[in-house]
Parts: sequence; C-alpha cells; structure tokens
Amino acid sequence: MPSRSVLLVAFAAVAVVVFFVLTAPTRTLLADGKLHLRYWTITGAKDVVPYYAGSFNRMQDSIIVETTPIPWQEHEKKILTAVLSGDPPDVINQVTPVAKWASRMALVALDDYIARDHFDTTAFFPSLWGEMKWQGHVFALPVSSGSYALFYNKRLFREAGLDPERPPRTWDEVSAFNDKLARRDGTGRIIQMGFIPNYGNLMTSILMAWELGAQFLSEDGKTVHLDNPAAVKGLEWTVKFYEAYPQKDIAAFMAGFGFADQHGFISGKVAMMVLDSSFPDQIRLYRPSLDYGIALIPTFEGSPTASASGSWWLAIPRGAKNPEAAWQFMKHAVSTPTQLKEVAMTEESLFPASRFAAHDPAFKNSPEREIFVAQMEYSHSPSVVPMAHDVFWREFLGAQERAIFKQQSPEQALQQGERTLQRMLDESLAYDSYVRSRMTFPGVK
Amino acid sequence: MNPHDPPYRFWTGRRKEGLLGYTFASPWLLGFIVFGLYPMVMSLYYSMSRYDVLRIPEFIGVRNFSTLLFDDPYFWNAVWNTLFYTLLRTPLAIAGSLFIAVLVNNAVRGVRWFRTVYFLPSIVGGVVLSVLWLWIFNPEYGLLNAFLNLVGIKGPLWLQSPEWSKPSLVLMSLWSIGGGRMIVFLAALQNVPPELYEVVDLDGGGWWRKFYHVTLPMISPVLFLWFIIEVIFGFQVFTEAYVMTKGGPLNSTMFYNLYLYYKAFDDFDMGYASALAWLLLLLSLVITLAQFKIGRFWVYYESERK
Amino acid sequence: MLLYATLTLLAVVFIVPFLWVVSTSLKGNEQIFAVPPRWIPETFHFENYATIFERMPFLLYLRNSLFVTGLSIIGIVGSSSLVAYAFACLRWPGRDTFFLIILATMMLPMQVTMIPVFVLFKELGWLNTFKPLVVPAFFGGGAFNIFLLRQFFLGIPRDLADAARIDGCSEFRIYWNIMLPLAKPALATVAILTFMFSWNDFLGPLIYLSDKMKGTLALGLSMFVGQYATEWALLMAASVLMMIPMILLFFFFQRYFIQGFTMSGIKG
Repeated sequence: MPSRSVLLVAFAAVAVVVFFVLTAPTRTLLADGKLHLRYWTITGAKDVVPYYAGSFNRMQDSIIVETTPIPWQEHEKKILTAVLSGDPPDVINQVTPVAKWASRMALVALDDYIARDHFDTTAFFPSLWGEMKWQGHVFALPVSSGSYALFYNKRLFREAGLDPERPPRTWDEVSAFNDKLARRDGTGRIIQMGFIPNYGNLMTSILMAWELGAQFLSEDGKTVHLDNPAAVKGLEWTVKFYEAYPQKDIAAFMAGFGFADQHGFISGKVAMMVLDSSFPDQIRLYRPSLDYGIALIPTFEGSPTASASGSWWLAIPRGAKNPEAAWQFMKHAVSTPTQLKEVAMTEESLFPASRFAAHDPAFKNSPEREIFVAQMEYSHSPSVVPMAHDVFWREFLGAQERAIFKQQSPEQALQQGERTLQRMLDESLAYDSYVRSRMTFPGVK
Repeated sequence: MNPHDPPYRFWTGRRKEGLLGYTFASPWLLGFIVFGLYPMVMSLYYSMSRYDVLRIPEFIGVRNFSTLLFDDPYFWNAVWNTLFYTLLRTPLAIAGSLFIAVLVNNAVRGVRWFRTVYFLPSIVGGVVLSVLWLWIFNPEYGLLNAFLNLVGIKGPLWLQSPEWSKPSLVLMSLWSIGGGRMIVFLAALQNVPPELYEVVDLDGGGWWRKFYHVTLPMISPVLFLWFIIEVIFGFQVFTEAYVMTKGGPLNSTMFYNLYLYYKAFDDFDMGYASALAWLLLLLSLVITLAQFKIGRFWVYYESERK
Repeated sequence: MLLYATLTLLAVVFIVPFLWVVSTSLKGNEQIFAVPPRWIPETFHFENYATIFERMPFLLYLRNSLFVTGLSIIGIVGSSSLVAYAFACLRWPGRDTFFLIILATMMLPMQVTMIPVFVLFKELGWLNTFKPLVVPAFFGGGAFNIFLLRQFFLGIPRDLADAARIDGCSEFRIYWNIMLPLAKPALATVAILTFMFSWNDFLGPLIYLSDKMKGTLALGLSMFVGQYATEWALLMAASVLMMIPMILLFFFFQRYFIQGFTMSGIKG
C-alpha cells in the first residue's frame, strides 16, 4: 500500500489533469468560405453585440462580422499594440478624439471609398464630421454620439419661489437662481445647491468659452491661445461662483453623491445641472417621480448656446487586411436607417451621429429629444487642439484648478497653461514635419 | 568582495569556478541578452528622440533631457511628490512589516489564521482596492472619518485635499504591511538559529537585547534588500494615483511614474517618457549605490570569514 | 495573553475593509452606493456569484490562469535560485557588474520597455500565445527574485557547503542538496509573490492574447469595468473568487514557515 503522501500527490495530479481536460476550449472550425471580419468594440457595462453588427451579417452572405469586446481599461494599449503587431482587427470602435490616431498614421484614409461610393458626408452633424477629418483626409465614421441639455428640478424651483416653467437662460440667471436654491443646515453645511459648476461630464467653463467665441487654436494650427478673453471670462465666472460658495464646502457636499438614485440631480440635491441625453432614461429607471424639465444650455446675453459633441467612431486600422469589406460594414453601421434602429433597440440611451436620423420623427418623438437635437446643432468638438488633445485638456483643467484654489488669477493660470501647451504643440509640429517627409498616411497615394 | 567566496584552492582552478558561475547564471544572462538588452537599448535611443510609437523616431540628442530639467514645471513637482511619498512610506512600511513579522513568528495556536488575515489586504486586486479606499476616504461617509467622528475629530478631505492626498496614499499602502514584505521578513526571522537567543537568555538579557543584538544583525541582509527595494519601487508608485486621484488635486499626487505614463500613453510622447525613465534609473542607481556603501557598516553576512 | 490581544486587534483592523468587499459582492446594484453605506446587505444576492459564470467563461479562464501562473512559479523558483546561487556562492569575472545590471533593470519603469518588448515578441512570432507570459520566467525569473534569494543565500553559513566541497561534491549537488533545503522559507516566499503577481497580471494578457479563448481571470475581471458604469457587485464577487486560490496557496505554504530549525548539523 503506497504511503499517504504518495496517494495524495497522485490524486492531486489526476484531479489536475481531469480539470484541464474538462475545461479545454472547444474549437469550432469555420470552413465556410466566407470573409470573416474582425471587429473590436469597447465593452460598456454589458457585453452586447451592437445591432448593426448583427444586421449586417443578416443582410448579406459573403461577409461575417465577428465582434470581440475589449475591456475599457487600457483599451488604447490594446489597439496600439494591435496596430504594431501588423495584424490588427479589421474595424475598431473608439471614442473621441480621432486625431490622436489619425495624425499618427494609424488609421486608413477613407477618401477614395467615399468618392467612389458617393457617400453622403452631410448626413452627420458638422461638429462630429469635422472631427473625423485630419489634414484634409477622412479617417473615421461616427456611429453614435451624445447630446446635453440643462436639467432642472421643478419641485425645488417651486419651493424656492421660482417659476417651474421658466428655466434660466443666461449664466447670470443661473447664479441668481442658485442663490435662491442653495441651502445650508444649522451647522453651516450645504444641504442643497442650485447649481455646481463643472459637476458632471461637461465643464461649465469650456461651454462658456465656446459660447463667447473662444479661438483656442489659430487657423494655421500652429499657435494656441489658451488665455483668450472668452476663456478668461468663463473662468472668472467660475472663480467668482466659488468665492460665494467655497470649494471645500461644495466638495464635502458632493462627497455624499453617488450613482444611480444617489446621483446629485436625481436625488434632488442639486436643482440645475447640465446632463447628457441618457439621463431621461436614468431618471425613469431610478426616480420616475422626479418632476423635472429640460432646456437649452444657458449662455451669455447675446451669445449662442454651446454644447460638446464627442462621438464613438469606426475606423480601419493601419495594416488591416480587408479594407474593402471593412468599408462595407462601416457604411452600413453609420447609415441613417441603421442608426435609427440601433437607437431604438439598445437599452443604452444612444444618440445618433447622423443628423438625418436625429431629426427623423422616429427618433425626435418627444419634447425632451427635441431639445437634445436642437442643442446638438450648437455643439463643438472636444478635440480642440487635435495634435495635443490630452495636453490641452490637462492644461485647461489644471489652470481652472489653480484659479479656483486661488493660486493664480484666471489670466495667469491660463497663461501658464498656454506656455506648456504651446511648447508641446511646437514639438509635435516639428516631429510631424520630420515624419511626413518619410511616411505617408495609409490609404493615401 | 562577497563573503561567500569559496577559497579557490578547494576547487580545481579559478577558471573552472568562473565557468561554473557563468553556467549557473546563464538563465539570467541569456534572458537578459534576448529579452532585456534590446528593450533597454531601444528605450535609451528613444529617450534621445521624438517618437510617438506609431511612427518612426527622430533623433534629437539631449533635447528631451534639457527640456525636462529646465523647462518643465511638472517635472520638479513630480520629483518632489515622489520623494515625499517614498521618504514617508519607507520607514513606516519596513518597521510595520517587521513588527508584524516578529509578532507572527510565534508558534502559537491559530497563528496560521492570523497570518492569513494579515496577508489578505495585499491580494485584493488593484481596481477593487482603489474603490474600497475611495470609499474609506470619503469625507462624508467613509469609514475613516466616521471613526474619527466617534472620538470627536473632524476628519480632513483626505484624497480631495492637496495637503492630505499623499499621506492618505501612504496610509492606504500601510494596510498591506502584512503582505509580501512581511512574509520575506518572516522567512528571514525563521533562519535565525535559536541557539543565539539561548545565549542571550543565559546572559540574562531581555527581549530588547535579543532583538538588537541577535535578530537585527541576522536579518540585516534582508532588511538591506528591502530598503533598496522600497526606494526603487517607491519611486515608481503609480497605480493608486492613476486609478484614484489622477494626479490631483492640484497635482499633489502627480508622481514621477504617473507623469511618465501620461506622457507615454496619453500624449503618445514616448521619447520624452523614455527620457523621464532614464533619469529615474540614474537617480535610483545613485541612491542604491550609496546604500551599498553605507550597507558595509551595518549589514552582517553570516557567511563572512572571521 | 498580550500577544493574543495584539494579534486580534490587528486582525480586526486588517479584515474590516475586506469584509466590506465581501458584503458588497452580495448586494444588489441599487444598494452598493447607498448612503450612508450599509454593512449587511438588505437582501443577500447570492446569485451574483452565479451571474459571473454566465458573464465570463470562468472555468476556462481559471484554467488558463492556473496554467500561466503554475508554469511561472516553476520557472521562477527554479531559475532565480540557480542564478542567485551564482551571485551569492560563486566567484566569476564580471559578477558584481552584472549584479548592478540586474538591479538597474528594476529601476527602469516598464512603461518605456513595454513597447520594444512587444515588438520583440512579435518578431519571435509569439503574439497571441502564452509564451510571452511564461517563457521569461524560466530565464532568471526577474531581478527582484534573484536579489531576494541572493540575500538569503548570503545569510546561510558556509561551513556546510565548504565541508561538502572538501568531500568533492559538485557545485550543483551543493546547490540542490544543501542550499535549496536550507532556503525553503525563502523559496516559498518567492512562490507566493510570483503567484500574486502573475495571478493579478492584467496588462500582459491584455496585449499578448487576442483570442477570447485564451483569456485569464484578471482579464475577465476587467470586463466588468466600463467607461462610466462599472458593475460593482459582480466585480467584487469575481475578485473574491479570484482571491480564494491565493488564500489557499498561502495557507498551504505556511508549513514552510514553521519555527523549526532548518540549519541543524552545522555547529558541532
């Protein structure tokens, strides 16, 4: 009789082998003669194959799109290494900005396909379409987007003595309304606010800058103007706001916010907020009893309103093996009828990138959606300085932080940011001209 | 130089020992030549170029380095943040882990369970760990401030305060002092011969004599290792800042390695990032060499010839 | 008595946050960010654990993770002990320079070597295989492990080894029969640390494995984290599951950390 430890080891070994055999992946051989297109999409919280991938597979017989979701975490690294490997997926799905990849020659230019197929480029919102282009070539197609609007809590308005059918139209009104809506408790802690600048996905200060006509980048793309008068004014408004309502108190107040029904607006703690187009669904889900209204984003007297328009886009990575089939798939995915169906079918509150789809009564079927679509017409691309996108935002937000914390005046803060940004842009331009004499954009003769 | 050198007359010639040395070390040598040398050389080349990973590098000499040192406000801020964090954390972490190791180096009943509980924090994955501590540090409802409230102290904003952000991260890292570091110390403590302690007992000495005159010298090689490691890894602190604070507030947690990461993978400025990396290597090397020099005075290798 | 009190107090401090992780894993999504936070879930959602198996091929990923991590441990313990022996117990020309180089490799942040390493593996044709994750483990197993074992070897008295050498033992026999057994706690430590690193490694599998079939647990876990919405309950539950093998391994390896004396036979 072998010793106990020998038996134990033998048993463990057998168990290990059995486990490995049982959990071996099953390979399905696909010898069907069809072209398999690899499509990488970014997972949302749910692992869902987009409608357009399924519908494309259904409507024709020669191409099959295989969707692989990749994790949001570090997805850029995955795409980067895929391009470097020389064998990338055929189509990728990515989020603003396009120029980050396009300017680095990582995407295939689509101009020839667009011309050949008479692709209608006016179908998209101008700010979205503008982002798809770099140096005169088109590199991507927008497949979905999002819009924003001002949400306001009618019940809180009533309680504060404000007319619940009269949302603020200017930033001065926002400030005035906030003074009526803000409440503190006995110990001086804030328990309710009318408005909190820069809470949410959209920076109030950038909206203001856009509304006042800020020109961050010169026409020739060589000079940045971070401390332009419009940006300074927007920042000054924000700083003034925080003088009346100290940042520390607001931070403590916001620490009690969360997600879903704990969201600052949904839970009724903040009366006015700029939110994206998924929020009507979120409110319906988490607090259907909320009495709220939607309006265009406030602006300054005499200026148009502004919003931001990021998008999810599709593109063909450099080195992909089947650009023609990829183009067919992309064309289908962004077409107006497909976008309409996609928006209707998914539970993720999408907003179409196609302008035709957005104005179509099948989509624009509620007063809320009317406002979102109207607001979209005034949207600006967040890709303000395409060649130094992340640096721009880092410097802009950094300057804002310094100004709010009173380390510098808005003007000084923006000037300091501008120095760094300009230096980065100069470097990028110098490098770019070096490379352009040695490499060409994929897909461009 | 090394105390473990066998006297060569015990072997059949220095050459044979040399050859043996290379043979034993060959896995690393081969691995380094194949997997290590090329990336290091390339990154050195990139550090002297403009390069965005997706296109070809442009050689520019030492321009990246001069920009770093003289023209970049983020650089010195990052150096300061990183030094602060490392200098604060290193002594606390080593002392803490050593204390726990000594504590669990007792063969009492159930010590296995205690050791496992202490080990748990270090295996909680990155994202979960960060979320957990974001909640603990929450100024309104977090565990920390709730606890402080009980004793009548109004807690700070922790991660949202420019003054408290770094200490908060150090505090968070102290939660895992029962982890890998502690196990290494425990293993080192295990290797101390009990006879040495018996000698102190016979002499009439107490626990402090035992600790100071027996334990510390005997585990000093491992302590030495850990001072070097803590500095090297402390300089590369990254994940917590990346997930939780993104370098803020007011760049108070913009650590060197985080800045490097943003440059490499957000801005795709791999040339500049490589320059940052090589400067870091230089700094780490200098400090490590200094530690080796100082180590001669306090590290005791049992295998030293008397 | 005082010892037990201290041990218990510390245990409470260390386990409380972990209990919150477990508690969150059993909550429904609405409750996770309930403010003020609740410790005991209102209703126990044990089905969160079942949902994980639906949402990712857990067993398959477990298998892959075990494969990668298991091989890594074998490779690292074996090769780093060999190399550490060379640095601690043998003299050879260039040894100290090479040791400095080993240290230097730890000082260069991996962000800047990541891309050239990737290109290297691409040229070798190892993309979309497990090789980049496993093979380097057999070639020295990492600077940290070599350094660690070197320090341990240096702390072992040389008399036993010297006696063996006089007797005509080969260096390899000394390494295998004398040094390794004496360094059991150190080797166990290296095994545990390697497990921790390899098990949780997410970036490596992310960039080297494109096949959904080849994913590891760490990769599967990352799918629960979205851009704006993360499925916290599932993430916590999956994390708890992932921690169990490590806890088991650690508990098992405790046998190497008994205060029994490992170096008897030296004096006298």
